[in-house]
Amino acid sequence: MIEDAIEQLRKLVAERLDVNRTLDEITSDAALLGGGLGLDSLALVELVSLTEECFGIEFGENELNMDSFASIRSLAAVVVEMRARDVQPIAV
Amino acid sequence: MIVSDVLGNCATDAKTRDNFITDGSFTVAYRELCALLDETAKALAGYGVEPGDCLAVECANSVAGALLLLTLMRDGYSFVLVPPAVNAEIKPTPLFCRFSIAVGAGVSPQPAAAFMSVTANPEWNRKSIPAAKLLLRTSGSMGTSKIVVHGHDKLMGNAANCVRKYGFRAESRCVIPVPIAHMYGFGAEFLPAIQAGASIDLQDKTNIIKYLDREKRFQPTIAFVTPAICEMLLKAYKSPRTNYEVIVTSGQRISEDVFAAFDERIGGRLINQYGSTEMGATSACDLGDSFDMRSQTIGKPMHDVQLRITDGDPGELNVLHPFGYDGYLDDAGEWIHIAEPNTWYRTGDLAKADAEGAIKVLGRAGTSVNRDGYLVLLEDIERIIEKLPDILQVVVTATPGLSGQGQRIAAFCVPKADAVLNAQHIRARCFDLLPRYALPDEVHVVETVPLLASGKVDRRTLAAELNHTQQ
Repeated sequence: MIEDAIEQLRKLVAERLDVNRTLDEITSDAALLGGGLGLDSLALVELVSLTEECFGIEFGENELNMDSFASIRSLAAVVVEMRARDVQPIAV
Repeated sequence: MIVSDVLGNCATDAKTRDNFITDGSFTVAYRELCALLDETAKALAGYGVEPGDCLAVECANSVAGALLLLTLMRDGYSFVLVPPAVNAEIKPTPLFCRFSIAVGAGVSPQPAAAFMSVTANPEWNRKSIPAAKLLLRTSGSMGTSKIVVHGHDKLMGNAANCVRKYGFRAESRCVIPVPIAHMYGFGAEFLPAIQAGASIDLQDKTNIIKYLDREKRFQPTIAFVTPAICEMLLKAYKSPRTNYEVIVTSGQRISEDVFAAFDERIGGRLINQYGSTEMGATSACDLGDSFDMRSQTIGKPMHDVQLRITDGDPGELNVLHPFGYDGYLDDAGEWIHIAEPNTWYRTGDLAKADAEGAIKVLGRAGTSVNRDGYLVLLEDIERIIEKLPDILQVVVTATPGLSGQGQRIAAFCVPKADAVLNAQHIRARCFDLLPRYALPDEVHVVETVPLLASGKVDRRTLAAELNHTQQ
């Protein structure tokens, strides 16, 4: 499950963000911010929007934090968790 | 207003002495500032910097960077604020600077000798520059453009105007997510905050995650942002914000939708400031002004500043500013232009006054665009892309619409005889050659470019053809 999300996110970064990188250059553990992929401020907002669109979720302010957006892998984990939360039946 | 007096008062006044400057990693209080500036001055002397030397300063938004800038202001040095170099071909250090000093992000403010990296300029031409000046390039790091000269005293006057306009005071908490190595961040927010003895949060290369994290801890009351940051925060804010007294944005290119939506999120406290590297903060609405006025006009001029429109309606906006620039220097330190006191400055911006006299700025009159707060000369981009192999000629034009960086721009590249160009490859190479704000949003390969009767490139026709092919 998380591996699927990682692949989707890698493709999304390579194909839809204006970052001038190929799919092979985007590893799941590369830092999204700072070094690594070094997404700038505009690309990061774009990543937030595209991730929401791609996975049908909406990040709350609590999810927009350094830990979630450390790498593609950490972001994938958050996405998988959010989706699991969404489909969980409400206890009565 | 003298910098040492301001800092002395802030260090002793009970309302300000415990206020602080932070960059998230390091924090210093106003009461500690004077000793830290003395240490910074000593470190400069240790590197061989002498009074009268002009310095090129590349400075991140960090406490250490702030200490260096305040030391240079206090001790009357002349210095050029240069943006980080993008590639080796663009040399940001003017020939008249004896040293380049770089202060990075996240470095400790102590010891001072360790936070700065000082390099002697091998091409220093020994040209003498008047003391106590701040110098800024007209178009970022894009090349050999004019260098704008400001007296420190006038900068402080400009800052005092911002204190008055936006209500900076000791209790203010000022977040600076825009570069302090830029007139807007330095002259319109950093120096006013210092004058008021307010707490300051310096954010280096902000982003949606960093801003939310730091905002939670700092609870800012004043922020100076760009249209791109407004869009970013609009995405980030799931709940309205009540901590802000004012958020100032700059540049006319904020879309009406973004202005309205972001203004609503922060309780109607968004103000659009009009200014330039030459004049500094020039005009802005007041918080009490109506939404229509705030979203569409540049409001009332700052204290003692006058505006007028010449040469038609819409016509060119002119400014009479008591704290404007001294003139322009070239890279060798020769005066290109000296601004006489009490003369009107032509901004190069097209403007129109409405029935009540409120002024709307419509765009640039010439071949430059505003991108992410930088005035970008289209010729500068052309000159840089033309250095790529197989390219005969490049024409860059503004095209309709906005991108994340501001006004959209397109590059049209003509190949050399028998050469084949690939638009995608050219754009990929541009990532290494140009600062992000100057990167064309699109690149096209064309066989020829249309010319005017004068032989000059017909940019309008080129942009219009593009518009046509897209429809």
